[in-house]
Amino acid sequence: MPKPIIRIVNLTKKFGNLTAVDHLNLEIEEGEILGLLGPNGAGKTTTLLMLTTVLRPTEGTAFVGPYDVTQEPDKARTLVGMAFQDPKVLWVSTPWDILNWHAKVCGIPSNEREKRLRWVLEEVGLWNERRKSVHTFSGGMRKRIEVAKILVQRPKIAIIDEPTTQIDIVGKHRIWNMIRSLRDEGSTILLATNELYEADVLSDRVAIIHRGKLLVCDNPKKLKDSIPGGDVIEVVLGKDVSKKCLEEVERMNRVVDVLSTKPNHLKIYLNKAEEVLPQITEFFLKMRIPIKSVQMSEPTLDDVFAHYTGLTIEEAEKR
Amino acid sequence: MISLRNVWVVAERDLRTFLNYKHVLIMRALWFLAQIALFGLVVNKMLRPDVQEAVGGSYFSFYAAGIIISLLYSTSVFIGYDIYEEADHGVIEYLLSLPVSRKELVLGRSIGGGLRSFLYVSPMLMVVLYLIWSSNPQSFVSPLQLFIAFLALFLFTFGVSGFSITLAVSIKSSDKFDIFLGMINALIVRLSTTLYPLVYMPSYYAGIAQFNPLTFAADLFRWGAGLESAVLTAPAIAIFGIISFFSLFTFLGIFLHERVLEGGSWQ
Ligand SMILES: Nc1ncnc2c1ncn2[C@@H]1O[C@H](COP(=O)(O)OP(=O)(O)OP(=O)(O)O)[C@@H](O)[C@H]1O
Ligand SMILES: [Mg+2]
Repeated sequence: MPKPIIRIVNLTKKFGNLTAVDHLNLEIEEGEILGLLGPNGAGKTTTLLMLTTVLRPTEGTAFVGPYDVTQEPDKARTLVGMAFQDPKVLWVSTPWDILNWHAKVCGIPSNEREKRLRWVLEEVGLWNERRKSVHTFSGGMRKRIEVAKILVQRPKIAIIDEPTTQIDIVGKHRIWNMIRSLRDEGSTILLATNELYEADVLSDRVAIIHRGKLLVCDNPKKLKDSIPGGDVIEVVLGKDVSKKCLEEVERMNRVVDVLSTKPNHLKIYLNKAEEVLPQITEFFLKMRIPIKSVQMSEPTLDDVFAHYTGLTIEEAEKR
Repeated sequence: MISLRNVWVVAERDLRTFLNYKHVLIMRALWFLAQIALFGLVVNKMLRPDVQEAVGGSYFSFYAAGIIISLLYSTSVFIGYDIYEEADHGVIEYLLSLPVSRKELVLGRSIGGGLRSFLYVSPMLMVVLYLIWSSNPQSFVSPLQLFIAFLALFLFTFGVSGFSITLAVSIKSSDKFDIFLGMINALIVRLSTTLYPLVYMPSYYAGIAQFNPLTFAADLFRWGAGLESAVLTAPAIAIFGIISFFSLFTFLGIFLHERVLEGGSWQ
């Protein structure tokens, strides 16, 4: 297993009585994209800000590369770059000035700077607006500048807080692709999001956090498979099914529960549906029961979240 | 280790932001003109020859040099307002996340905030030097003295911006900062030798004014410009005072950034 490039140890942040991050332990491996998924107020941003030494931990610490963020914050920051959730731009600046200065302060030599700026500004669709003052910009345009910073910087560790909120769907896909290519060029990526789809398509591993605590961390596929009976196969049959038949389906490997909503309509809760499906169709063929339709659905990360908290993410955000 | 390159890149950003203050910059220049062409000239006429003699031959020259210091002070404290503007937009957090050390950040900002004020004031400073030298043709100017005075003025502006940064990050509420700085601004010029020498102040005022960095800067500038007289603070003391002032607030600013300041706590 590759060695961790970020090691979060008992990391805790309190704001008065509120514990925003609560004894968090997590390791991020070099070269992976780790998605930090959680509802509003889960403590994602607070965690990221402690990693970039913008906030000081109340307790515990984190190691960024070899550096302890509480002991050697200046050194830790040389390895990381952060794109913030709320774009951090002064209204008087232009995208070019913001990105050019950012690249300069991150130590990118001037010949390289021009090239990267041009490429990134074109990719995020702001090349024609590069000399305009950002106070005329929409929320999505500002957000693009924020994400562009990290793409220009290409830090060893890229920390990205909700990269695509406020950005349209075409923009989202472009940014996801750019984040992937950033990783392919050698960056490790830690990404906070409350969008299930984003966490799912982008992350090698997803860490789900809720109320400042880590619930679980694994690759998205394994997380979904870990929910007992998370997959659902719905079968509509040409004939009614006998009780005995139902019991036999229930006894199949990986099947957790079978519900018969109508006499010819079954809902089968199971794991690894893609492996069990052939077995099920074969069984009905053998029983000479014609199959009229089959529908298969996988659990989402929302189901994973619900499995651990008893709440959907949407419900958790309302609390 | 401090990287001078990083310090400079940070300073450069503050130099650039200054250009956004076009209105303020124009107002300040007009204020300068009015102070010199109206107030200075009129008061100069009112004063008895012995007073003129005591301040080095011409009150007008004494005053004009003081106005430059007052201007340097008031433009160097701008950086504190920048910090609030940045806090409003969350840019403080951005700056704190960058791969520059807190020392480099504070030094860079002090230098940027001071240098931009120096650059802005320098045309007016030239005008004042011209006025002083043309009205006191006998005043002897040593290039070395002038050079030392300029260096000290640089340091003075860095110190004032360091002071403003320290104040801004320790107050963290733009309303309180406004009030507090307004109070300091009102007193710091009047309780210094920018407008009148120590010898004419009641002793309890002079007692404070003699430790005011504006006193050190104003008297040193006069000395450098060749307006030597008995009323000025000794140059060695003034230089020492400015170095101490700069060091104190640079140290405090760095201390606050390294030990206390964090994101998300601004009002
Ligand atoms: N500076 C602060 N002062 C006081 N409380 C804070 C501060 N910053 C965050 N909090 C609180 O800490 C908790 C965690 O906030 P955080 O911003 O880390 O959540 P998040 O997971 O990023 O949420 P979101 O998805 O909305 O961005 C919230 O309850 C928030 O109100
Ligand atoms: Mg957040």
